[in-house]
Amino acid sequence: MHIMIVDDERIIRESFFHWFQKSGHKVATAASGKKALEKLEETPYDLLFVDIKMPGMDGIELLAAVRERYPETMVIIITAYGSIESAVQAMKIGATDYLLKPFKPDQLSLVMEKVIQQQKRRSEYNYLKGRLEKITRFDNIIGQSAAMTVIFEMIAEVAGSDASVLLSGETGTGKELVAKAIHAKSPRANLPFIAINCGAMPDTLLESELFGHQKGAYTGATHERKGFFEVVSGGTLFLDEVGEISPKMQVDLLRVLEEKKITRVGSRQPVSVDFRLVTATSRDLEAQIKAGAFREDFYYRINVIQIEIPPLRQRREDIRLLAAHFLKKSCHETTKRVDRISPRASMILDAYDWPGNVRELENAIERAVVLSRSRILDAPDFEFLRPPQAASPSGPSMREMEKAHIRRILDQHGWNITQAAKTLEINRVTLHKKIKRYHLEHDGTTKR
Amino acid sequence: MTAATNPQGTTPVVAVVPFADASTTAAKVIAAHVSGYLNLLANTLPPLEIPLDALDETRRQYNAATLIQTIEAIPFEGYFKVIALFDVDLFIPLFTHVFGEARQNGRVALVSLFRLQTHMDGSSPPADRVLERVARIALHEMGHLLNLLHCDDERCLMHFCGDVDRLDQTTFNFCRHCRTALRRALAKP
Repeated sequence: MHIMIVDDERIIRESFFHWFQKSGHKVATAASGKKALEKLEETPYDLLFVDIKMPGMDGIELLAAVRERYPETMVIIITAYGSIESAVQAMKIGATDYLLKPFKPDQLSLVMEKVIQQQKRRSEYNYLKGRLEKITRFDNIIGQSAAMTVIFEMIAEVAGSDASVLLSGETGTGKELVAKAIHAKSPRANLPFIAINCGAMPDTLLESELFGHQKGAYTGATHERKGFFEVVSGGTLFLDEVGEISPKMQVDLLRVLEEKKITRVGSRQPVSVDFRLVTATSRDLEAQIKAGAFREDFYYRINVIQIEIPPLRQRREDIRLLAAHFLKKSCHETTKRVDRISPRASMILDAYDWPGNVRELENAIERAVVLSRSRILDAPDFEFLRPPQAASPSGPSMREMEKAHIRRILDQHGWNITQAAKTLEINRVTLHKKIKRYHLEHDGTTKR
Repeated sequence: MTAATNPQGTTPVVAVVPFADASTTAAKVIAAHVSGYLNLLANTLPPLEIPLDALDETRRQYNAATLIQTIEAIPFEGYFKVIALFDVDLFIPLFTHVFGEARQNGRVALVSLFRLQTHMDGSSPPADRVLERVARIALHEMGHLLNLLHCDDERCLMHFCGDVDRLDQTTFNFCRHCRTALRRALAKP
């Protein structure tokens, strides 16, 4: 166990140091609350023994700071017989236990036994939490909201068939992850999964990439090349931003889907192909059909099953879960140690509308982790999320927080007013008034 | 100061020193147990005076940390480790009292008879029980001098016991893990 002794008296620090050394614990000492916090910034500690009476920051102040910033660290308060009241106060604000000094040697052993038991329970809890996290994940897609549960069920249902799937949703909602999950759950899971962003390449290049070409088919085609339709050979082809495909290419793709045969550019020899098609779009394809920019027959061919992935603002209950996941991921990638996101910062994340959806959230967390100098991401680390006119120096206003909270609870209960009012511990009439005052609407957006 | 008596020349020798009125019989018992259990030579030295600066007037107890520091400064020539035996009450600033005290891998261990001479209920145990207790404490503290840590096994001599009842339940044995650690420590003293 990694222990720190915080006491302004050198002999007490030394006594503890030698004592814990005999039990094989790793021990550090600090002569003041300030020095203890500096050490905590550098290294995580399992347990702190803190003297109540110290000059400068006293034990109670240090305890409060540790509870706020390092909730995993346990704190035992050491106090003299004259300051029992402070010990009681310490217990109220979260001290694990307290010791009246000088204490009988056995008392310290008993407290340590208690601490070890508590640590054991905590690791069991973390293990179970880890398992729960796995349950809230579906092939790398994270979500516990009702909306995502429906998506998980649909993925499991459609994966077994060969029907074409159209994934619709705003940019950054994780359409490619859903496509990969469908592939991973399908009988084609052991065969290739190829993703192509149709919006990122010109028509001619897309044609060559998909259909392949013969040597000399065009200038620069110096050798024969198989297209993705052939390369995928039995796997899943994922065409992202399918709404960007030109009408000519739509006709070519429609033919491939109907005949399951392709002809390489510059060749006349048709080749049989076998693949499962999953497409995705962030555009309103039906509007494009009406505008004549998208072929209706192609649309019906690719849209045998449609899965609509909701924007993050419509599943706000997933924000904290996703943020925790991205925090862990960013820490791993950047090798920085950031333990958690503070409640104030979480409120900001909850309140923000995330136009760039999950991708924007991931980027925001990564940016905050890279720039943060603390082990906790706090409100100032997410200052960049606020529109300039709404920026305020000390976090969101009470009104903003209340609005975001009410919206989150309403979304959680599927806008069941009775249940939401019960959770919010207000009556239905008050809730209706607040919905009206904040211009909240059922789809999770704000009335203009 | 008496130099180490070491007929074999190479075996490390432990000095057992009674301070003030501490029982020389108890010192001899400690020496016998150190020889028997740790396979080290142990000499009982003549009594010394208790360093006065170790007395805490307020607590009316002797500060074990100060005693260790003072005794470490005495040149017990040729002695590998020193066990100092007292009949006064010892403390470290954290605790109300200690039965014994030693630093990890240090040279000097302290053992106090003071609280070993009464049962938890205040009654007096027979003399042989007191000697057993003092031997257990001495072996435990010698363990620390040989860098052994407190042990979770309640029957092991390295298990920490804060009261005499628990101490009486400890067997005169090091568990197999502590025995291995002892063998390693004694291989290169």
